[in-house]
Amino acid sequence: MEYTREIYWNLGHGVVLPMYLFSMAAVAVCAWGFYRRLPVYRLGKPLERLDQLPRRAAGMVRNVLAQSRVLRVYDPGLLHSVFFWAFGLLFIGTLLVMAQADFSQPVLGVVFLKGAFYKLFSLVLDLAGFAALVMLGGLLVRRFAVKPEGLETIRDDYVIHSLLFAIILTGFFAEGLRMAATEIGINPDLARFSPVGLLVGRLFLGMTPAHLALTHKILWWVHFFLVMGFVAAIPFTKLRHIFTTSANYFLADLGPKGAIAGIDLEDESVEQFGAARVTDLSWKDIFDADACTSCKRCQDRCPAHATGKPLSPMQLVKKIGETAFNTPEAALAAAVGEEALWSCTTCRACQEICPASIEHVNKIIEMRRNLALMEGAFPGDEVRTAVSNVEVNGNPFGLAYAGRGDWAEGLDVTVMGEGGEVDILYFVGCYASFDKRNREIARSFIAICNAAGVRVGILGKEEKCCGEPARKLGNEYLYQTVARENIEVIKGYGVKRIVTTCPHCFNTLGRDYRDLGLEVPVEHYTTYIGALIRNDRLALRPQQFDFTYHDSCYLGRYMDIVDEPREVLAAAGGHLTEMERSGYESFCCSAGGGRILAEEKIGSRINVARVQMARETGAPLLVSNCPFCLTMFEDGIKTGGCEGELVVRDLAEIVAERLEKAAPAQL
Amino acid sequence: MKALLVCEYRERALLPASYELVAFADRLGAETAMVLIGDPSAAPRVTGKLYLAGAARYGEYNPDLHKRIVLEAAQRERADYIVFLHSSYGWDLAPRVAAALRIGQISEIVGIADGGFEVGICNAKLRRSVVPRTGRAVLTLQAGAFTPAGEAAGTPQIEQIDLAGEASPLEFVGYEPAEEKGVDLTKADVIVSAGRGVGKKENVPVIAALAKALGGELGASRPVVDAGWVEHSHQVGTTGQSVSPKLYVACGISGAIQHLAGMKKSDFVIAINKDKDAPIGEVADVLVVADVLQFVPVLTAKLV
Amino acid sequence: MKILVCIKQVPDMESRFKVNAGGNWYDESDLAWRMNEYDEYAVEQAVQLKEQLGDAPEVTVLSIGPDRVVEPIKKALAMGCDRAVHVQDAAAASKDPWQIASIIAAYARDKDFDLLLTGMQSQDRGSAQVGVTVAEQLGLPCATTLVGLAYDNGTVIAKRELEGGLKGVVKLKTPALLTCQLGLNTPRYPTLPNIMKAKKKEVLAIPVAELLTEQELTGTAGAYPPPKKGCGTVLEGDLGAMADRLIGILKEKTAVMR
Repeated sequence: MEYTREIYWNLGHGVVLPMYLFSMAAVAVCAWGFYRRLPVYRLGKPLERLDQLPRRAAGMVRNVLAQSRVLRVYDPGLLHSVFFWAFGLLFIGTLLVMAQADFSQPVLGVVFLKGAFYKLFSLVLDLAGFAALVMLGGLLVRRFAVKPEGLETIRDDYVIHSLLFAIILTGFFAEGLRMAATEIGINPDLARFSPVGLLVGRLFLGMTPAHLALTHKILWWVHFFLVMGFVAAIPFTKLRHIFTTSANYFLADLGPKGAIAGIDLEDESVEQFGAARVTDLSWKDIFDADACTSCKRCQDRCPAHATGKPLSPMQLVKKIGETAFNTPEAALAAAVGEEALWSCTTCRACQEICPASIEHVNKIIEMRRNLALMEGAFPGDEVRTAVSNVEVNGNPFGLAYAGRGDWAEGLDVTVMGEGGEVDILYFVGCYASFDKRNREIARSFIAICNAAGVRVGILGKEEKCCGEPARKLGNEYLYQTVARENIEVIKGYGVKRIVTTCPHCFNTLGRDYRDLGLEVPVEHYTTYIGALIRNDRLALRPQQFDFTYHDSCYLGRYMDIVDEPREVLAAAGGHLTEMERSGYESFCCSAGGGRILAEEKIGSRINVARVQMARETGAPLLVSNCPFCLTMFEDGIKTGGCEGELVVRDLAEIVAERLEKAAPAQL
Repeated sequence: MKALLVCEYRERALLPASYELVAFADRLGAETAMVLIGDPSAAPRVTGKLYLAGAARYGEYNPDLHKRIVLEAAQRERADYIVFLHSSYGWDLAPRVAAALRIGQISEIVGIADGGFEVGICNAKLRRSVVPRTGRAVLTLQAGAFTPAGEAAGTPQIEQIDLAGEASPLEFVGYEPAEEKGVDLTKADVIVSAGRGVGKKENVPVIAALAKALGGELGASRPVVDAGWVEHSHQVGTTGQSVSPKLYVACGISGAIQHLAGMKKSDFVIAINKDKDAPIGEVADVLVVADVLQFVPVLTAKLV
Repeated sequence: MKILVCIKQVPDMESRFKVNAGGNWYDESDLAWRMNEYDEYAVEQAVQLKEQLGDAPEVTVLSIGPDRVVEPIKKALAMGCDRAVHVQDAAAASKDPWQIASIIAAYARDKDFDLLLTGMQSQDRGSAQVGVTVAEQLGLPCATTLVGLAYDNGTVIAKRELEGGLKGVVKLKTPALLTCQLGLNTPRYPTLPNIMKAKKKEVLAIPVAELLTEQELTGTAGAYPPPKKGCGTVLEGDLGAMADRLIGILKEKTAVMR
């Protein structure tokens, strides 16, 4: 017997015309559904996302086909990915059938769905259909029985689950009925290659041929119209993510992570700063809402959400979409919630994990800009005081700027203003300059540089706050003011290389200051020390210690510096017990997004939550790489009752204690 | 030299700080006379001339009328110095008298130096010695800078002053009592603050008792407020209130930078902490190395 | 309605102060400058009054000093003042309150201001004289230390802050001068559009020689750091003995124990 099947068996070739007509109608409805959404996207401001087309296309193909972002969270991710691949195979299968039935056979007389290929074809599609069914079952159980916390189930979900189940089941039934009539018992060699169809078909063996034919015809048409319904429903339901999420991969931000759009403060025609309404956001910000499938991975990782703040990155994105589609005139801050906006620490956990490549953080910053620049608003009076202090004295503490270099008294450090040759400019930052606990980081770093024979220069009282907390709170004006002043001073000294012990200064000088004209390379001390060790300029005398390590947001997620600090600590003799949430899954210390200046007034303390995660590892020492984290954890240890059980220290302190050569002339 | 001392009267009573004027005049070695717009029953117990104008007629607060009364007394007395307290009454009235006489005014005097009066500038971080260029001068004294030696005893010789008319562009409407809303630490002269070293909420009254014994307010560091041991309006620090009392007592406070920034302007700082190296020691005039819960009750008992 | 707000630029009080070369004031190097805090409340009050009266009043901000005082002037304009006057005087710090007041009075005399507002004192000199002296030189009624202000059709009801949280309420009619205490209002943080607009507002520069006619009535004999605080005494040992010693120190060094 031939290994093939009659396409349109029992249906007749007359089915082709209505089939194509209905298909075109369904596709037209689908296209129209998306077309209607375009004007809403266009409410947003222009944004160039069509540059570097090959790179964008490659990214999209990789993410769509390999489902790489979806698979980052294995649990439901695998269910979706297998379902997707299975459905993809089924779709390709349908296309192949169409290609033969409507083109290659009638026009060219070519039949390729036969023989070994057809056996493979049948088997693959049957298994795909079965896999799809099982995965769908798993997703159903998850959504309706397990009900993970925070997972919203809406009308769309009922519709989609019902449709997909019905499509797959009717597909198998139609196959089973066909096989019962044409294959089972007739062509057993072939039937074997459609195992599911075989099983299903056995159910119908008792039916009369006429009955079989009628039922098959009915079920085929039901299946057909379900698929038409599916296609038409795409733009009107969550199913739109098939296109919008895929498009989002294409339209991704190809710039460096954490880059924020600047504001041209010289442009006198600008009347609105920041986003008051959806029309002040970009079209991409509105489109992101369409790409969201409410998977809640962002919400699950948001430190603010985890501790009772009214912020959910997912809800924020959806609210922007809702506002754009329903009430585009509405004020965004009110729709999204001002407290929610201020609660964000810009830790980027949401954006890093999002399988739809949605950009959460910059929307929040744009909305904050409106509050800060148009209304002079702050998350609290204490923040206003700190910001005013930065304006007057260049640091949030309000301490005299003239004392900024005092920590270095007696140390082998050159103050640039006093002249001298240096290898690096050490941009100290506000905390290491003024805060007693954090001065230890600065002193340790100097000791390390001394041991490596690196000549260090500092700006001393000429250094100002890098401006990052102000920028993240929306105060672009203050940020640009201090940034330009810093850049002018740095350029004035002809500095060739900058190293900093603060990841926020690192991000700001290394990336943001490029937009304002600073081109000097900037390094974080963890990689700088790593390089010194690798290049044999620094030798460590390892001393055993047990520790756990906190990846700060601005070093790990923002700058992808995850391994090197660990290598340095290993070289120092450290034995690391990882926290459950480490690396790119690290849990914020709470001080990012300018919140180092603010009081945490809502819910429970983020820093206490993180300190307890550290305590759970059993390690007596928590090592951090950021002055904000160090400050937060010192506080968290006391407030969280871990005193005596856990100690926090900076990586620089650990290394400085283990230098092979003692640093010269230190007080 | 002659000094005319302008006493203060409020809510039908002489303000006791008026005796500081006498203490100052003694230090200066000046002959004194006093002027008071008030009631004869409130006359200060100081031997010497007292020019009196009735508060019933001229009001407890009316700088225009009071200026004219003081000028009249100054003229009769031929005073070289007209001395006020640097108070809400004094700094309001003194410049008017100085302007009318076209003489210099030296404000908020803290001491008398060779050939000049000492005043503080820039939050008392520096001092200046100021001299009048016109021979006579109006002076105002910092509250508490000149303390009377002992109990006042004496009987003044009263001379009445009456003005021709009582018309004034200012109308005193009345007093408004202080509100109960949270404590305003920025106006407190003495603050005793509780820090984490206090241990737990139940121990806060120990600190509050010391505050009361010193006639001051209870303050707190941020962790103590966060923990809910003390209500927020007592918080001292960059995220609380920034204070500059004459005396600040930090109990069990280590001295985090945010707290220091809020109380560094205090005139005199005492820190009680069992850690000798606590950062608060850097700003404290006196560091008592002791357990807060042991030391404070002992100190309070001796003060009461 | 015309309002004049007088502001002063002072160093940030966190700065470390050293005596200047002339030995009569603080050295100006290494200082961060800002608007006198009390004057911020005056500026805010003027702008609030302007808003209350439908933007009709014209608010002029005036400051005396060298070029750097343009910064707080700009801030006042960004907070909402309409125009500014910069009395250019490189030696403003060496003039006494009487002279400063006379400069302001000379400017204001023929301008028919309905209301003059200023801070009750400056953070550096703190003489609390200039405001009242301007009023006396111009013959205007004056109330000081305001923590509350209500204006209605030419009548001002001023709430003065007295000692111990008590307040005294006073009524006066414009034209008048008022000096402002901390807490009178909440000075606004300038919005960016207002900062941009401020760049276009008029800043009239007047050399001080055109307005100064008075000699000083007081002068500085010298400036010096205050007596050292005894370098931080550390007490250790017996609780009772320490308490006694502490009380002794309090009696000696502070006015608290009386």
